Amino acid sequence: MSIRINLDVVMAHKKISAGELAEKIGITPANLSVLKNNKAKAIRFSTLEELCRALECQPGDILEYETEE
Amino acid sequence: MWNSMKSVQLSFVCTRIVIALTVLSAVWTATPLGRHRLTASLGYAERAGAENAQTPLIMGLYYACCIPALVALLCLDRLLGNIKKERVFVEENVKALRTISWCCFAEALLFAAAALYYAHILLVPAIAMAFFGLILRVVKNVIDAAVSLKTENDFTI
Repeated sequence: MSIRINLDVVMAHKKISAGELAEKIGITPANLSVLKNNKAKAIRFSTLEELCRALECQPGDILEYETEE
Repeated sequence: MWNSMKSVQLSFVCTRIVIALTVLSAVWTATPLGRHRLTASLGYAERAGAENAQTPLIMGLYYACCIPALVALLCLDRLLGNIKKERVFVEENVKALRTISWCCFAEALLFAAAALYYAHILLVPAIAMAFFGLILRVVKNVIDAAVSLKTENDFTI
């Protein structure tokens, strides 16, 4: 997939656990795990907004575009 | 009050009854009386004490027809079991529909072969089975597309 989720990097930087983040943004830990492991097919703007608010970051810090070789 | 769950339950019970009837029919056809009735229905009644030369072929065709029929019925049973568990748009159901569709085509071929050698009237069920198979293929394609949509929806966070 050419869009990579760097959620684990941002989470490590902010020293926040998956359970805590899931609770803060109002999604299940299972769904957060799907997102973190790049298994998600799409992300809602509302989820992205909550993630940015909880992690105090920009969407660009979480999402990264990778060129496919 | 009649509802969709009761409808699924009725289909489930009917499928189980047809499975039992198919097995019983296969067992009964193995008996001399059953064999006589089957060959007589195609105009090849056995003479007393002398087996008709066509009997092994007719019996072979009959049992060959029983195999895809039973496979299709078992797939239908599994499909209905999944629907009862509210697992409708899953890959397993697409696989079951694909198998049922192929079983219909296999039955169509067997009936066509029987129609060619025994009774031309068997061409009618042969065409009907091929038509069922085609309809099931289209339904399978629709369910397959629905599975893709559901997967995308499930993985939208």
